[in-house]
Amino acid sequence: MVKQLSIFESEKLLRKYKIPHPKSYLTKSESEAISQAKKLGFPVVMKVHSENIIHKTDKGGVKINLLNEKDVEEAYSKLKKLSKEILIQKQIQGTFIFVGMKRDPTFGPVIAFGIGGIFIEILKDVSFKIAPVSKDEALDMIESIKSYSILQGARGQEKINIKNLIKIILQASKLAMGEKDIKEFDFNPIIINSKEAKAVDARFLK
Amino acid sequence: MNKIFNPDSIAIIGASRKPNSVGQGLVKNLIHGGVFTSRYNKPYKSKIFLINPNTNNVLGLKSYKNILTIKNKIDLVIIAIPAKFVPSAVRDCIKKKVKGIIIISAGFSENNPEGKKLQEEISKSLKKARIPLIGPNCLGIINTSKVNASFAPATPPKGNIAFVSQSGALADSVIDWAISNNYGFSKLISVGNSANLDVGDFIEYLSKDKETKAIAMYIESLSDGRKFMKAAKKCKKPIIVLKGGKTSEGKSAISSHTGTLAGSYRIYEAAFKQCGVKLVTNVEELFETAQILATISYRIQNSIGIITNGGGCGVLAADHCESLNIKLAKLSKHTIDKLNRSGKMHPAYSKNNPLDLVGDALSERYEAALDAMLSQSNIHGLIVIETLQTMTEPVNNAKVIIKAQKKYPKKPIIAVFMGGTFTRPGVNYLDIHKIPNFPYPEKAVLAIKALIKA
Repeated sequence: MVKQLSIFESEKLLRKYKIPHPKSYLTKSESEAISQAKKLGFPVVMKVHSENIIHKTDKGGVKINLLNEKDVEEAYSKLKKLSKEILIQKQIQGTFIFVGMKRDPTFGPVIAFGIGGIFIEILKDVSFKIAPVSKDEALDMIESIKSYSILQGARGQEKINIKNLIKIILQASKLAMGEKDIKEFDFNPIIINSKEAKAVDARFLK
Repeated sequence: MNKIFNPDSIAIIGASRKPNSVGQGLVKNLIHGGVFTSRYNKPYKSKIFLINPNTNNVLGLKSYKNILTIKNKIDLVIIAIPAKFVPSAVRDCIKKKVKGIIIISAGFSENNPEGKKLQEEISKSLKKARIPLIGPNCLGIINTSKVNASFAPATPPKGNIAFVSQSGALADSVIDWAISNNYGFSKLISVGNSANLDVGDFIEYLSKDKETKAIAMYIESLSDGRKFMKAAKKCKKPIIVLKGGKTSEGKSAISSHTGTLAGSYRIYEAAFKQCGVKLVTNVEELFETAQILATISYRIQNSIGIITNGGGCGVLAADHCESLNIKLAKLSKHTIDKLNRSGKMHPAYSKNNPLDLVGDALSERYEAALDAMLSQSNIHGLIVIETLQTMTEPVNNAKVIIKAQKKYPKKPIIAVFMGGTFTRPGVNYLDIHKIPNFPYPEKAVLAIKALIKA
């Protein structure tokens, strides 16, 4: 039976493989959420934490651009209908991309890269490599998606730092090779800008 | 594996007296090189032993009851008897210490669980005995310079393309096509169920085969993707694959985005790219690409030229280049000067790439254009289009192309001689001198695409 790892197990793996990610705080009350948000600084993101929800956005389980206490209050009251536990993170600005892995019956671990966010499965702008992925292959993955020009700063988008992206792909490949019991994973989105790249959401299936 | 492709003696278990049977086709192919008559058929010159427990004579040749009753050493055994009798025949082969086995018979893992069990039993015992096995459930193999060890209709012309196929029936029709188009093969291998030897092993063998310059493959699924990739990466010869079966496999109910997006065909595509295998989309492209990669061993940079005597055909070629991301070099001032100075150009010639020589171009105009274009350093290859006008000279055009190719041996010229009957003599001339040529611009563009460095 396929099982989803909890946020804490997930973060442990992200740390082990040095995949940059924002720290998530678990909150169990509205006041806790507000004080955590203040500590982090606005804007913040809040999302449900439930092992039963795979695609959180589809269920309305992610609230972004929360600019003040009132936004946090509203988000909290909506999210608590979906799950008892609610996560809060500092919001990062940038382009959404994703990196993922699945184990193919013929070729073994396969790394996927593409433009991330909620339209992944609609746009299908993805490239694949069989792991382990080399540095050159990681670059080829990035350059071979149709939306590559977006990453290069087309139409006024911030030009991202490709090196950070290559690093995440290589670390994802190492994770795929090293953690044989992980069946699939998605880092979606990874938010990337000119300075940093962070996996703001990671989902591991065991 | 060499004893399978170059055996000094062959036994057929299941040699049959029955006309139109597989067991008789095998015998005829060994004796004559083909069941159908073809000038490329080559009889097998070494010893043949036929085995059939129910008779002592097949097609006038002596037949034996059992392989163990033969005194000679046997290199290759071809087995074509019902699946349930195969394990005992295999046991005899192990006892006889044969060097290689091809099992033609069907009714194994492709059929049902019992067949799968039989196949596993055979596979295990032959691995233990270190006897290489091709099949079961295959057509056999053909080495065009030695033997037709298959029940294919005939032997195709000898050449330098190896064809490895997961479909035996496809190989049969390809042979018929190859005979009528004088398309040459070094080896044809029908892999069947790949119980022991699989496509990865054949890549390894063919990479060392002196007669093979390019490997064409029809693949539906690989049992060991990583082994294939390793062999393909190591192989220095071009490998071209046509992959059958594009539908993705069923997805589990719970799945990540990656799981949903990574359909089986997309992963094959990625894997092939990663190990330098060229993926094509149809049978024709498979063999045309293999041919061009076997003929021209060097790869060029992405910047080419087009010469034409018909504007429309130049446009079609340029459009196709655009869609395949092939770059057309801008003509340099030097090249245009050279064309102007030649005194052979029409006043209205295009001065652009595609270089339109105008319909009344004779061979001397082609000659001047070829020389000017090929002397430009960033034109790395050329497509030369000829449409048939009243004054066009197909044979002389072929001659100036051949001459230019000799002068610029590292800049491939692909000819497009559009037409039929009246163009044919020129095409024949190009064929004799191994200048790749096609009847349509799109195909020439695909060919040059194959030569461009990835």
